[in-house]
Amino acid sequence: MESKLKVSAPQFLHCPLCGFEFEKQETPCQHGCPLGRFCKLVCCPNCRYEFPEKTQGLNVLQRLFHRGRKPAPDRTLLGLHELEEGEHSELVCLNSSRASRRNALAVYGLTPGSRLILQQKRPTFVVRVGETELALEIEIAREILVRRV
Amino acid sequence: MPMPCHENNAVSTAGRKTATTQPMLVLVGNPNVGKSVLFNKLTGKFVIISNYPGTTVEIARGGTFIDDKEFTVLDTPGVNEFAPRTEDARVTCDVLRDYPEATVVQVADAKNLRRALLLTLQLAELRRPMVLVLNLMDELDKCGGRIDVRKLSEILGVPVVPTIAIAGTGVHLLQQAIGRARIPSLPSDAPGSRPCPTEIEAQLARANAILAQVYTITQPRHASFAQKLGWWATHPIKGLALAALVLYFTFWFVGLLGAGTAVGFFEKVVFGRYINPWAIQVVDIVLPFPHTHDTQESHYNLEIPLSPTYGISIWENTQIVSAPTYSLAPSATLGGWTQVRRLAHDFLVGEYGVITMALSYSLAIVLPIVTTFFLVFSVLEDSGYLSRLAVMLNRLFRGMGLNGKAVLPMVLGLGCDTMATMTTRILETRKERVITTLLLALAVPCSAQLGVLMAMMASISIRAVVFWIILMVLISFIIGWLAAKLYGGETSDFILELPPMRQPHLGNVVAKTFARLEWYLKEVIPLFVLGTMVLFILDKLRVLDKIARFGEPLVTGWLGLPRETASAFLIGFLRRDYGAVFLLDAATGPKHLLTPHQVLVAMVTLTLFMPCIATLFMISRELGKKTAFWITMFIFPFAFFVGGLVNHLGGLFGI
Repeated sequence: MESKLKVSAPQFLHCPLCGFEFEKQETPCQHGCPLGRFCKLVCCPNCRYEFPEKTQGLNVLQRLFHRGRKPAPDRTLLGLHELEEGEHSELVCLNSSRASRRNALAVYGLTPGSRLILQQKRPTFVVRVGETELALEIEIAREILVRRV
Repeated sequence: MPMPCHENNAVSTAGRKTATTQPMLVLVGNPNVGKSVLFNKLTGKFVIISNYPGTTVEIARGGTFIDDKEFTVLDTPGVNEFAPRTEDARVTCDVLRDYPEATVVQVADAKNLRRALLLTLQLAELRRPMVLVLNLMDELDKCGGRIDVRKLSEILGVPVVPTIAIAGTGVHLLQQAIGRARIPSLPSDAPGSRPCPTEIEAQLARANAILAQVYTITQPRHASFAQKLGWWATHPIKGLALAALVLYFTFWFVGLLGAGTAVGFFEKVVFGRYINPWAIQVVDIVLPFPHTHDTQESHYNLEIPLSPTYGISIWENTQIVSAPTYSLAPSATLGGWTQVRRLAHDFLVGEYGVITMALSYSLAIVLPIVTTFFLVFSVLEDSGYLSRLAVMLNRLFRGMGLNGKAVLPMVLGLGCDTMATMTTRILETRKERVITTLLLALAVPCSAQLGVLMAMMASISIRAVVFWIILMVLISFIIGWLAAKLYGGETSDFILELPPMRQPHLGNVVAKTFARLEWYLKEVIPLFVLGTMVLFILDKLRVLDKIARFGEPLVTGWLGLPRETASAFLIGFLRRDYGAVFLLDAATGPKHLLTPHQVLVAMVTLTLFMPCIATLFMISRELGKKTAFWITMFIFPFAFFVGGLVNHLGGLFGI
């Protein structure tokens, strides 16, 4: 029991270029890089952009100056929860911090490029992917980023 | 890739016929695609199937003959991926690991080919000979889809068989195809594909590439009625109305028709007028000793119920029948042998007799209620409604640290808590399983018990009944909420596939009801006989009185019930509905021991009891002895505690 509690939450990184969120363990290394474990760069698994990992101090600074300021929302990209019932959309990406959740959605066919129909929002979200009807909670719907079609 | 080395699977065993290694078929596939139906068709064995993902929680095993060779067939729980996240997936993974020689038969829902292909790609990595079955071709037709079977077979390099398993179409094609099972030979990677960050996405890209080549769909213009019904079922308002309708129908069918009409017929006519008097007569002839049986007036009224108090009467009649109670002839002195004969007589047809109590209770009262409940449950299950109910109730269950998926065990618990405890395996985390099990054991009355409770309700006011229902629901929420807080940890995500609404298949509903009944009776009847025997012995040794005196402070002091009811609680440890039947007797029987207030207290206490000893065994099997111990240690004191509270505070509510 106790050992379970001590495990720290996995760290999530944000790619500054494409906005992809990922865990540090997922970062691929460039082939034949001589730096090995001394390398301080992380590489985005989505777009392969390399950037230095944020340090604790930088985090604090950033929070100090950017408090309450959110990045301007890209209005073509919406969370599934922002759509109206009956709207068709195309899935852009799953912005979920948990790999298990992304996998669970992926096996039902919710993957980038797939077409979704939002059938209902209450009491629980129901989306249609191909011939599969899937019930989801709003917390999960928020993490599904889509584009209207 | 051609398959040079895997001939050994089927052929080499033919050389040594007596060898222990029988060729094996393992059925795998996504949930709710019809593996179990296919299993039934192949082996002729019945396993429970339904229109709800995750019905198979244990592996079924059967044999089938293909080309005069006997194959062992294994049916596995459905999986979406081979990552063992749930107990089900773990079971399936274990099967595949334990039988490396087996031929894999992947069953796929033709409508959802993408998901099936995803699984095929994962299976391909195991490098086993396999056959792909495209099941539910009729539903694919209905939704306007088309699959190029030959092309798919070429791409995957394995035989592909289209079937409609429920109708038996294509099953013989599958049997022919088993011999042609091959190791999948997929093109190693789609050329020019961009590197994918995760394994699963790489597989998806490949699945999509295959899909584009073989699958075409032309959407029909109008939604079918079944589809619309499915949408209504999850609509916030129409869904509630539909749920109310379903609830009312269930209540009418189980509560009024089953627990009222059918029970009345079996209890009063079949047992009361024929079996019991006849058994008494036979036993009296075989084991004579001087005594005369009491007689009682049996009034019977056959009616079709419309509401709990009103029904259309069809046939009424009154008859005098002999009862199990008797008085000894006044002048008789009983010698040694007569005593033994009397004991045997009492054991069979006495007040606590095996025939007059155990059998007539289990067969006349429990059987009709359980049968009607399982019938309704099977229909609901097959229609696909239960997962929609999960959608409606998800928010509610969230508060208890559960999610909507827990609705299946909870509803099944209204039929049989032991069975439901086993079904908690479909839940993903241990936390959810423990909480669901606890709530099942605590506050979900099983159908047998519900029947007895309903009969008891007849003697209390409507207000008290409403109070009882509200109390039970409140306790479920509070205990569920507390348990969730204490247990900590996260509840798994609610991502549930909604199966299409289907018209239930009559044959399947009946077969399933029978299978569940068989399971239930095998468990119940021995327990009833055992319980009756314990009671009989206690009664003969005059221990019942002693126990009643011992439990007096608790029963008379705290619960405010007459001390005669102590034995009801004692036997309630064995099966709570069995205990309830004593109270029913005390409440409505000829002696009228209990006041309405006392009936309510007794009802509350017994409802909160552990359902039966079989449930306890099941809990310790599923969750371990320690958890079972703590659940028990919590439930019994808590039941008496709440019962006492109702006794002392009930007056405040004017009940």
